[in-house]
Amino acid sequence: MFNPFEDFKEFLSKARTLPLDRLSADHDQIMAELTSGYGKLVEQELKSLVWFVEHNRVIEAYKTATEVVKDLSYDAHSIEDFCYVLDSGVDIPYLISGPAGIYVAALCNHVAEEKIVLRLGEMKRTLHFLGYRLPYGKSLRIEGDTGNFTGSALQGGDITVTGATGDWTGAGMTEGKISIHKNCGRNTGEWMQGGEIWVGSRIRGLGRITSGQIYQAGEAITGDALL
Amino acid sequence: MENGKYRHTVREIYDFIQSRLYFNRPDLQVGGEQFNSTLLFTLLTALTGGKALIIGEPGLGKTTAAEYVGSLLYQLPVGTVWASEVGGHPEQTEEKIIGRPDLGKLNQGQEEVVWSHFVQLPVKIVDEINRLPETKQSMILDGVDRGNWEYLNEMILNSEYCLFATANYQDQGTNTIIAPLLDRFDVMVESRHPGPSYGFLISQRQEKEELLRHPDLERELQDALKKRSTPEEKDSQIAAVAEAFGAHLEESLQLPTLDHTSRTKVREQIASIALEQDANAYARMLLAELSFCDRHGQKRSNEVCEEGCHYTGYLCHRLRNCASNRLPVSLSNYAKALAWFTEASTVGIEEMRAVGPYCLAHRAQWTDTHLSLLQKDRRNDPLQIHLAREAINEVFQRYSEQAEHVKEALATAYRIFQGEALEPVAGDHPIYVEIRKDLNLEE
Amino acid sequence: MAQMNKHQKNPEPLEDLEELLKRLWPEVRRRHLYPEIPLPRFDDSPSPVAMEIRNKQIILNLDYISTMTRSLPAETVLEALLDHGVSHYTCCPWDLSTHLRLYARAKEILGDRDLARKATDLFMDVVADTHAVKERQSSLPELYRNGAQTPMEEVIFSLYEKIWGLDLGSKGDQETANRLVTIPYLDKRRWMMSLARFIRGIRPLLEDDNGSIPDEQTRMGKHGFQQYAPEEIEQALREFAREAGSPEQFAEVFEDLQSELEIPVQNTSEGMGHGAGNPVDANRLYYMKLAENYALPLLKIPMKGSGYLHPHSHRPWEVCQPFKDLDPWSSFGKFLPGITQIWERREGQIYGRKEKTPDCLVIIDSSGSMVDPRSHLSYAVLGGGCAADGYLRHDARVAVYNFSDAPAGGKEYLPFTRSRSLIYQVLCRYFGGGTALDLEEVTSVAQESEADIFLITDMQITNLDQTVSRFARLKNRVTAVHVGKKSGALRFIKASVKNQNISVFGVNETNDIPRIVLGSVRSYLAYE
Repeated sequence: MFNPFEDFKEFLSKARTLPLDRLSADHDQIMAELTSGYGKLVEQELKSLVWFVEHNRVIEAYKTATEVVKDLSYDAHSIEDFCYVLDSGVDIPYLISGPAGIYVAALCNHVAEEKIVLRLGEMKRTLHFLGYRLPYGKSLRIEGDTGNFTGSALQGGDITVTGATGDWTGAGMTEGKISIHKNCGRNTGEWMQGGEIWVGSRIRGLGRITSGQIYQAGEAITGDALL
Repeated sequence: MENGKYRHTVREIYDFIQSRLYFNRPDLQVGGEQFNSTLLFTLLTALTGGKALIIGEPGLGKTTAAEYVGSLLYQLPVGTVWASEVGGHPEQTEEKIIGRPDLGKLNQGQEEVVWSHFVQLPVKIVDEINRLPETKQSMILDGVDRGNWEYLNEMILNSEYCLFATANYQDQGTNTIIAPLLDRFDVMVESRHPGPSYGFLISQRQEKEELLRHPDLERELQDALKKRSTPEEKDSQIAAVAEAFGAHLEESLQLPTLDHTSRTKVREQIASIALEQDANAYARMLLAELSFCDRHGQKRSNEVCEEGCHYTGYLCHRLRNCASNRLPVSLSNYAKALAWFTEASTVGIEEMRAVGPYCLAHRAQWTDTHLSLLQKDRRNDPLQIHLAREAINEVFQRYSEQAEHVKEALATAYRIFQGEALEPVAGDHPIYVEIRKDLNLEE
Repeated sequence: MAQMNKHQKNPEPLEDLEELLKRLWPEVRRRHLYPEIPLPRFDDSPSPVAMEIRNKQIILNLDYISTMTRSLPAETVLEALLDHGVSHYTCCPWDLSTHLRLYARAKEILGDRDLARKATDLFMDVVADTHAVKERQSSLPELYRNGAQTPMEEVIFSLYEKIWGLDLGSKGDQETANRLVTIPYLDKRRWMMSLARFIRGIRPLLEDDNGSIPDEQTRMGKHGFQQYAPEEIEQALREFAREAGSPEQFAEVFEDLQSELEIPVQNTSEGMGHGAGNPVDANRLYYMKLAENYALPLLKIPMKGSGYLHPHSHRPWEVCQPFKDLDPWSSFGKFLPGITQIWERREGQIYGRKEKTPDCLVIIDSSGSMVDPRSHLSYAVLGGGCAADGYLRHDARVAVYNFSDAPAGGKEYLPFTRSRSLIYQVLCRYFGGGTALDLEEVTSVAQESEADIFLITDMQITNLDQTVSRFARLKNRVTAVHVGKKSGALRFIKASVKNQNISVFGVNETNDIPRIVLGSVRSYLAYE
């Protein structure tokens, strides 16, 4: 039988294979894996249909997130890209700010790089719990605004936010430094047990601080510095 | 080389007509050269033995272009060409178009056919074909398709022929050319207004028609055509007159022409030009969009395209009918002829894109929505050709983006067809689906 | 320095370059699948950039070429430049519509016109270059290997090194380049997302530390909008109007680029000319272009039988058939099957009586409860525009009565006209006040003209009852399209039950308005 594709028998592709093809394919693969991981976290967390901020709940969510991310292979840039995938709602139709932020925090805490920069200024929504439990030796710079519980349970890491943060910034932190260039919200430093919070502009309200230091526009306003 | 000599001759004919006989603006660029589309496609039709539909406003040289090209390319005095033209009006009969009984012999009880000039000569011009009844349109197109004409159980064969049909735009008192008949034309071109300067020039050069006249040879040819001789004798008589006319042109106008043997060789050269893989793949991609329907298996004019189909971005969504098999034949023939004419060694995408709009314009039936969206576009072409050109360009854009992918898909399909256990290359375009169907893999 | 001089050559003379260009151009065209652009030309005006594209023509800068040919063969330089220029035409942006969308996205992210232009230009350069290198066997890497001229170029060349897998000797910021390497530049469907990622990556470089924009150009020059033909502009504006997120976005982008595009001049009479002229009302243009996407099909001129039979064509006579239709002339006086012809008669077709298309009075509500057409897409304005266009296409006239609190002066009335521009001007007017119709004025116009009436409102009209009863007494065909709560519409419907000439449509989604309006116009104008 006559082969209708005979004319292409001798076809030799002239297109070069560029590293770009592999790089972008790998990146897509990583995004798919991160998305799948987030899906697993949400599936776990939403068994009770409502997600609310409660200390043990957050710990459980973080534990689940850690389990999910530990087997993933990604880099710091992928975390930023993943934040925008979350924000776009294209591949992930539901962005639940709490679990999403915890998931991103887990990604930051377990990525190989020590220095992480996330340019989140163009996101339509802010994420909560960014910088949660950031360990000693890691620095996280966020360009843009963040949601609530930024840097909560900080464990020695260095967080810089070039925009504003929401409520409960630095809640429960034990050591480390949080620098916020603009405003922060209420209950700043709630249950803070050590470390420093530097706020460039207004603080809407302070929390119950056990230990540690909070600075506003370079002036200490609470904690050991006033003793 | 002989190849070059023939091409040079045809080029000289083109240049001569353009500079002395048919004045019009260039409106088509191929390979860096500018051409007038009407003249170019008329010439290519005459070279390839095709069928061209020439449209335009009354008095803008629709028939003129065909007469000059036919006269020079086939070495026939233009007076003979005029005499063989068929006019489009409802009273045309088979007897006036094809042939009639020899009345003298008929009264003696013998049937013998007197063939018309239209049928005997290779250049066939029908003026205002849309004014002929459908039966007569069909009769002419049937005859040109097969190259033979029948009347009263007698048959005459044409060894070479080409058809030029002119049509005014739709107006009161005209029939339409129905779709199946339109489809049999290879190309449609518009003979445009030449602009005020060229238009004025035409009025100053009224003697131009005399350049191609030769009363003595016309009379000789008339006699030869009237004679009751065998086809071979008649052919050789016509050839002799044609040769004499050719010699006359060479002597008086320094214009070389082609005889029958040369024209045959030209056609062989044209047919032997190969298509580049890009041109080939592009044509397949175009055909895929013109015939595909995800919902109904293929495009059909009695089936409506569904909203919400995945392929609404492709041409199939904007068409009501399916492309016929004549379209790729026209595309291929004319692209090769154009490549030959412009000294290209192969047929590339450029040639395909150049001839595509003219091959597609009269065959595509666009949806009302598509027509109304684009009818107000700024354009130089009549709407049908403009729409076809837009379609060709749009498919070219898609091809440009994924050329290697498409060719790889076709190459892989070749290997699968040969029996290799490979997966067909996937993609969004209808061509990939059609390849799967060809490989009998479509569910 | 001595070593550098040893490798430097004298610049090529212009005649040689022109010969070389003529030789290279067909090959470049062939590699790029024969783009329909004219032969490039040279320009010897002093300029730091390598090329410019104007009205599809590539213009190569001799100054730049002279500099480059000191260390590279002229053939390599020319080919690379041509590849770059042609790739912009055949790949990115391909057309004005794509260019506008990219620019609009960049402007949305960056908020600054110059930054957005620069970011868009850079992105398009990367896409075009990568396409040329991957698909068209380009020698661009040779050109870039000659060294970057600006910090931005350093980064871009570092990016190229990584994504092309070639050593260009670049020393650009690796961190920034690493952010950019995973972007799928050649996937056209993802260009919008890719552009956003690209901008995120290069944003710090777009502004210097002082917050001002460095006045540096890439060597390949800016991508102006003057390279597009007028037909492209009209089509691109139509597509962009459809895709723009809001009238504001359209207006913003349009106003940024108006001076560069050969923008249609806003005539006071009809249609649009081309060329420099008075600034165009972007909001009005937005709705005019958007309405063009909702085109009505052409009305076919009705044909009907004339009632008379006329001879149409011949067919062969068969023995059983009567003689009365015989054509003796075509039959040569013979009654012989196969020779004798008879006439086939058919009823003639004549043009039916074409009903005069009535004029149309569009009554549009622009009270405070309706959407402000300047900031958000107003389907009411769009629907009114679609209705107007439908009638204009049939040589009918359209009047517009735009009202808010009409008795208090919140109204604008445009008498019957065929000027599309004026119609849209009045349609787009937004009063934002209360809602009351001046019934005397409206009904007087309607009765005198016998025009069709299209009323588009949210029915929160204070004198709704009077409106309903007045319209019910009119002989004109009335289509009332209401948006929002149904209570007002119900009263209208109730009143119109006995009147065949009133149709009321409620819309749940405002984007149904154009469809309803078109359906009504279609049925009024008797489309097939």
